[in-house]
Amino acid sequence: MKRVTRNIDPGCARDLLERVPRACIAFASDHGPQAQPIVLVWHDGRYLAGIPEDADRRPGSGHEVVLLIDEGVHFFDLRAIYIRGRVKPAEAPGGAPVGRTWFEVVPLKTVAWDYGTLREVRDES
Amino acid sequence: MKADDPAALDVMRRSMVARIATLSRNGRPSINPLYFVYLNGHIWLGTVDWTLAARNVKADPRVSVLFEVEQDPSDQRVLRIRGRASVRTDQKAQRSYNLRAARKYFLTPGGIRNGLSHIRQLPTMHNYHAQAAEKGQPCVIEVTPEQAEFLNDDQRG
Repeated sequence: MKRVTRNIDPGCARDLLERVPRACIAFASDHGPQAQPIVLVWHDGRYLAGIPEDADRRPGSGHEVVLLIDEGVHFFDLRAIYIRGRVKPAEAPGGAPVGRTWFEVVPLKTVAWDYGTLREVRDES
Repeated sequence: MKADDPAALDVMRRSMVARIATLSRNGRPSINPLYFVYLNGHIWLGTVDWTLAARNVKADPRVSVLFEVEQDPSDQRVLRIRGRASVRTDQKAQRSYNLRAARKYFLTPGGIRNGLSHIRQLPTMHNYHAQAAEKGQPCVIEVTPEQAEFLNDDQRG
């Protein structure tokens, strides 16, 4: 039995972490879900997220977030890394833009996809 | 700002991928990039009813959606819309969304070039969508905007 998949090894999407075309996080707030663009710095395997100091809401330490780095607009160009994790306060990385509060996203689960690699694989589910 | 403000409409008209944040029944967050169209004051995002985005909207209708003008690097605006959403599986909504999405994403010079450059994968793409439809129903997440805001330069990613 075969199935079609878009999923790739997250290591194959490493360039997204180096270039960071678009990055945002989602977290729960008193007012519901919050989508927030961020500056992402991937350094020594750590995911450092900079949120503007004047952002109206931000995740609390230990809260669960999803970090999404994605690119592309046309179907076969769509790629992304999706990281579910928890945040903890972090120092600003060297050379980071000022005016931001920094968090580290500690991953619990990471998936990546690339529609340009859409292919049939053996279904082992 | 209202979502029908001309500046907000301009960004939504030119944006290609919406990133929709949702919460699960247990309050766990998620954010997913989805294709969308803007129609009659609503944002329609195309997906399948078993996806996390659709399941979350059924559990908690509150959403937060980001839009950028991806194809114009000189336009640095990021629009955030807050609103309430529902999942529509009726054929009328589905047909209307499919028609508009095809025009927006596939029947354009960029969309046609993208398809032609992956012409050998088109049958696989067809199978991918057929497989998704076997697992559940194609649907539209219909967002009714309640509040819109532009994020300042320092609020951008």
